[in-house]
Order: sequence, then C-alpha cells, then structure tokens
Amino acid sequence: MSTSVTTATAPPAAEPSIGGPPAGRRAPAPRGGRRRRILLRLLALAVLYALWEVAARVTRNPTFIPPPSAVWHQLVETSSTHDGRRGYSGHLLIEHLGVSLRRILVGSAIGIGAGLVLGVVMGSVAWIRVVVEPVVTFIRALPPLAYFSLFIIWFGIDETPKIWLLSIAAMPPVAVAAAAAVYSAPTALVEAARALGAGRRQVIRDVVLPSALPEIFTGIRLAVGVAYSSVVAAETINGVPGIGGMIRDAQRYSQTDVVVLGLFAIGLSGLLIDALLRTAENRLIPWRGRA
Amino acid sequence: MSSPDAITLTGVEHAYGDVTAVGPIDLTVPEGEFLVLVGASGCGKSTLLRLIAGFEQPTTGTVRTGDTAPVPGRGAGMVFQQPRLLPWKTVGGNVELGLGYAGVADRRERVEELLAGVGLPGVSKRRTWQISGGQQQRVAIARALAVDNPLLLLDEPFAALDALTRERLQEDLRRVSAATGRTSVFVTHSVDEAVFLGSRVVVLTARPGRIALDLRIDLPRSGITPDELRGRPEYAALRSEIGHAVRAAAHLEGSPT
Repeated sequence: MSTSVTTATAPPAAEPSIGGPPAGRRAPAPRGGRRRRILLRLLALAVLYALWEVAARVTRNPTFIPPPSAVWHQLVETSSTHDGRRGYSGHLLIEHLGVSLRRILVGSAIGIGAGLVLGVVMGSVAWIRVVVEPVVTFIRALPPLAYFSLFIIWFGIDETPKIWLLSIAAMPPVAVAAAAAVYSAPTALVEAARALGAGRRQVIRDVVLPSALPEIFTGIRLAVGVAYSSVVAAETINGVPGIGGMIRDAQRYSQTDVVVLGLFAIGLSGLLIDALLRTAENRLIPWRGRA
Repeated sequence: MSSPDAITLTGVEHAYGDVTAVGPIDLTVPEGEFLVLVGASGCGKSTLLRLIAGFEQPTTGTVRTGDTAPVPGRGAGMVFQQPRLLPWKTVGGNVELGLGYAGVADRRERVEELLAGVGLPGVSKRRTWQISGGQQQRVAIARALAVDNPLLLLDEPFAALDALTRERLQEDLRRVSAATGRTSVFVTHSVDEAVFLGSRVVVLTARPGRIALDLRIDLPRSGITPDELRGRPEYAALRSEIGHAVRAAAHLEGSPT
C-alpha cells in the first residue's frame, strides 16, 4: 500500500491554505512564499528529469531505464493510430486510463458508501462496534491482491471481481474514520442540540454527521488512494482495456517505456483527483479547524 | 390567585459516584421569577441547573418543571458557558434550530426578529466564527429564546467574556428578561451579576451544595437605567450582604461526608 499514488500519504503540511472569501480566514501565505514553493517544485522536477536522462544515457539499456524521449514517443504512439495499429493493445492510452478511472470511481463509490453506513452504525451502536471492528481491521490488513483470487473464483474474470476488489479495499478507511468521528461527537454540541429540542435522529443529522465530516473526508481521500493503488492489481487479469492491463502487457514484452508511461498516467491522474477532492473538501467543510 | 410554581425541587440530592455534589435541596421557583444561583466553584450550582434541565437525574428526591419531570429540550431553553454554536450552520441557522425542531413555519422572519432582539440585526447569514465571542453568546441567547419555552436556564453564560462585554450583555439580558417575563434560572459565581440580574438570589454552600441564603431582591425590574440601579443604596447593601454570605458559605461544608 506504500505505493499509493495519491497524496493520501503526503504530509498534511502540504495542504494549501484555504482561499476564498470571508474575513477571519487563516491569513494566506505571503505571495513570496507561494512563488518560492512553486519554484522549488519546478526545480525538483527539473533535477529529477535531468537525473533520469543521465541515468538512461549512462546505462544505455532502454529496457532497464528508457530515456524520457522514448516515453514521450510512446505517449504519442499510444495516443494515436499508426500503421493500422490503434494505440496499445487495440486501445488508446486515454481509453485505458478512462476504463481504469471508471473502475476506480465505481469501486470507491461503492466502498465509500458502504464504509460510511458501516462507520456511522459502528460509531453509534456499541455492540455492533465490538463485533465489526476486528473484522474491518482484519480486511484492512489484507493486501487486496490476496482476496482478489477469491473474487476471481466467485465472480469470474470480467468486471465484477474488479469492482468488488476496489470496493472492499476502499471500504475500511472510510468505515474506521466515520466510526471514530461519530463515536467522539462533541458532547457539548450534542447537548446544545438536545436542549433545543432535537431528537435522536435530529442530533445525528445536525450534529453528529456534520462534526464527523472532516474526518470522513480524510477517510474518503485515503479510500480513493487505496482504490488507486489496487486498480493495477485488479487489472492484472483480463485487464485490457485498462492502465493495469496495458502495463501488464508491456511488461510481458519488456516495453519498459510503456510501463513507465502507464505509471505516469496513473500518478498524474491521481494527483488531479486528489486535488479535486481537496477542493470539494474546502467547499463542503468551511468550518474545518474552527469548531 | 397565586401563580403556580414553574420549578419544584423536593429533597433533591445528586451524587457522582461516592461524591455528593448537591443537596439535599428543597426549592420552589414561582412563575416569572429570575432566580440566580450563586456559589464558589465546585459547589454544584451547575449540577443543580443540569438537574432542572433534565440532563441529570437526581440520586434522591424529585425535580418537577411544571407538572412533569424535566426532559432536555422540552419546556426550557438553555444557554451554556460556551456559546456552543454549530459551526456548520450560519448564525441564522443556529437560531433557527429550535424553531425547526418545534415545527414552526415562517422561521426566517422570526430569526431576524430574535437576532435584532439581542442587538444583532442583519448577521443571520454570517458564519459563526466571523463574529466575536460576545456576539456568539448573544446568538446563543437568541437561540435559546427562539421557542416560547416557559423556562430559560443559563449556566454562567458571561463567565468567559471580558468585563466590558459582560456588562453589556448583563444589561441586555436584564432588558430582554424584563420584556419577556420568562421564568429564569441563572448560575454565576459573580455577586454583582447576581444582584444586578436576579429577582431572587440563592447562595449555595461548598460541596455538597445546599441553600445557605435565599434572598428576594426588591429592586425595580424595568424603567431604570443600569447606572441608576447600580447607584442605589439598596444595591450596595444587597451586594455586601450576598458577598458575605458567599464567602462564608464557601468555607461552610454542606454536611460532613
């Protein structure tokens, strides 16, 4: 799981300060600091690029380390039709990526939904928490590839086992986060709502769930990260079209440049999705850090 | 016809584990009274208020609000030491909460009215963290007043505010209270606050809290400015009497335990 490509593993310090309207917000970082950060990142990228180029030239073995130009070339090749060959393994790169993203989306949506329900129930009903918690922890400890075999036996080799894999992998982070947050709902606010006449359901709707939202969102980002890192595993069997399938095929023919291209496609789209999630989070939870 | 009692405590005791925090206490609060409970910290005055609110159940004895045992959110609005506003709701949304639970229609206008009533017109769309601590506590008061409950319970609502803000809020609460005439129980450790706000002051002993002094405050409830009120000789006399009682009670054990 350490291969997670989203920033789920990134330090929280990397979170950009929330922009947006009203007064009283955390003061934005001074512009000089922001510019310097961007500059630093660009510089780091340039250095990495140079190291890569040098390594490729020194080793002179494109199967071991393909030069950047080869990867670029593959990007063009896999994104177009050449000599009657369409993309890679019959699909354009964007199609491979699209199919994988769709699987991630559907899988993590199901997993997040299930995890949310499970977590809220776990957080509010003591005996269910006692029974279910070890099970969730158990599943969380399993590498997704381990239970993939089981799903293959149960559901065959088409879409179903892949979606199951991603759903099951995405469920625990959300369940754990939601359970913890619901369980530790702020008593002071719960009491305030009860004093205003809120019943059990209204307390859950107006206090427990909103107060859990920040942690749930962190769980969601983790879940999407896990789904991301599991999709390649899910696509090792009958995975074309799909980025994982593409990488798998390329590995078979030692097309290292295509493998690297696939890694870039996953990693960059992961960054993009995480940025989207973070934007959504800042929109949905403007009170984060102020409660 | 004498007005019925809004709150009746009969032989009320409350213990946390082995430690008796309150009682035994017998106390009746007639309708329309503004009762202030004063005592040193740890004397159980907040516990007493929580018993009246229905958040705690007495270990022995009975608590009645009206004809029934108290249930949180039924029949009493409550203001806490911290504003306890929900940060995911706007200011107006917070004031609206109780109205929503009570199923009141046309809440918008009522919210605006209530906010104006506590001196905060036109802030309903603001976020709770965009207003000051004093304003947040005003919103909490408006929120507690929103539903026409017969009771208003306040647990050291001004203790966390700076002196100037506190004085302003005391004056406003006195005005609002005189206007609504709602039966209120106000917990504080400030003698001045007690004399200024109360129509009756009850001083509690150190733990376990019992009634050390029960005093009617015969000062005009309205038609007088705060400065005039504070300038009256009776005001100073009451302050000094209650101050003595509080200091004496702080050293007085309710009972040997």
